[in-house]
Amino acid sequence: MIEILQWSTLATCGLIAAARVPSAIRGENRSLFYIFALMTVAILLSIEAPYLVVDAALGGVNLANLLLRFIIFAAIYFVGIRVTRGFGADHAYRLITGKTGMAVLLVISLVMVGVFFLIDTSGSSAGLSAVSGKSERNFVLVEYYGAAGRAYPSYVSLVLLPAMVRAVGSRLPVLVRLAAGLLAVGGVAIALTLLFPVVPPEWGAVEFIINYTAVLCFVVGLALIWAARVRSRRRPGAPKTSTEM
Amino acid sequence: MTLPAKAFQRWLQGVAPEASTADVCRISGIKRTTLAQQLVRGKVSVTTVVSISRAYGINPVAALADFEAYRQLADPQPPPTRCELVSQISTADLLEAVLARPAMDPGSEAGDVPPALSPAPHATSVKNWVDAIDDGEVRHRVSAATGIAPQNYSAQLTANRLTAELAVATARAAGVGLADGLVATGLVTEREAGWAPGARRAALDSLSDGDLAVLAGDRLQALGKVLRRQEQDQAQTEKIWENLG
Repeated sequence: MIEILQWSTLATCGLIAAARVPSAIRGENRSLFYIFALMTVAILLSIEAPYLVVDAALGGVNLANLLLRFIIFAAIYFVGIRVTRGFGADHAYRLITGKTGMAVLLVISLVMVGVFFLIDTSGSSAGLSAVSGKSERNFVLVEYYGAAGRAYPSYVSLVLLPAMVRAVGSRLPVLVRLAAGLLAVGGVAIALTLLFPVVPPEWGAVEFIINYTAVLCFVVGLALIWAARVRSRRRPGAPKTSTEM
Repeated sequence: MTLPAKAFQRWLQGVAPEASTADVCRISGIKRTTLAQQLVRGKVSVTTVVSISRAYGINPVAALADFEAYRQLADPQPPPTRCELVSQISTADLLEAVLARPAMDPGSEAGDVPPALSPAPHATSVKNWVDAIDDGEVRHRVSAATGIAPQNYSAQLTANRLTAELAVATARAAGVGLADGLVATGLVTEREAGWAPGARRAALDSLSDGDLAVLAGDRLQALGKVLRRQEQDQAQTEKIWENLG
């Protein structure tokens, strides 16, 4: 079940990234292509088999996990910028790119890197599950490391949430409102990841489902906006005729 | 909103006793699948009855009066008020009438034959009609009488729509001719509702220059608001395309 979710998420994301290659080459909104590409890489690295291959190349001390965290940070940062710009959420934009946003990013990154190097990280293991089991100390450190890694995406998605909720209730095209709804659900899912430390271990599957729901919602939401634009181009002037009455 | 299929069958028996369903559809131009679906669901739309009665040379208002919910349409109705008549003149025709008034251009010669008014309904005819008959409490009374939520009622008016049932209920609440709302929604024509030919032109001509100018101003202001809102929505959508499309 979880494997299916992982690979289908990867496939969805990879397909969308591939589909954006032509427009990226034409120079239209390249950053969207980067977002999809980064997300694809992030999902790839969160799956056991590819993770082991990449980590082996990086020395087998789970540096790939740290890399994964920063790829996620980069992707969510660009998502935040694009979405706040697009939806005209100036306040949210400042909260992400302004001093507050930078401070949050810096502090979280420092904590994350610091904790990472305190962990005895030898022995490749996706999600650091084997590393966490090595000792009581490692277990606690991995929990903190994970929390730091989830903190920045949660911050950005919570900042985005009000603008998305507003957009759902607006008079924008239906597809765009649907997309905003998906981004909002994804944002809530990411924010929920902050609660993982209190989730009982036997509910491990819930964590996976929330993680991949969040990624899927974001990716599909962004793709929907793109689809809405393509659709509006196909019937040029359709929304405009009413303005010309 | 819809009429019970049983009552419809009985009515159809009286109108076209010999005709098969296929004949009725062919003559009235209704798609066979549409009528079949309505009969299966047990709910026949009001427009179906209007189309069929027109095809068989029956006044659609009289035809509707054969149904329980619309029985009162058969009672003698008061003629439309001047406000109602003027409300069913399109904004473009009103503006043209303003320009044709000697007060607008004292140098010009009167006596040109005024161009014919375009037939009701027009782009904002439903809202203009309700505004014309509203004593300030009509919307309230309609929602009390029919149970429709005020915001749903307003939404219909804004979309220039009103179900036949609500149109009749509104007319009843305002104490005007019960078929008048059906004209405003475009379900029946002025003539079918018993409005005298040329009544709208006469009402328009009876307006003083001042009243006409103020009325046209109100219409322009409302139009301006709608257009501005559409332009803002459009601009916001463009911004989303630009950043996320």
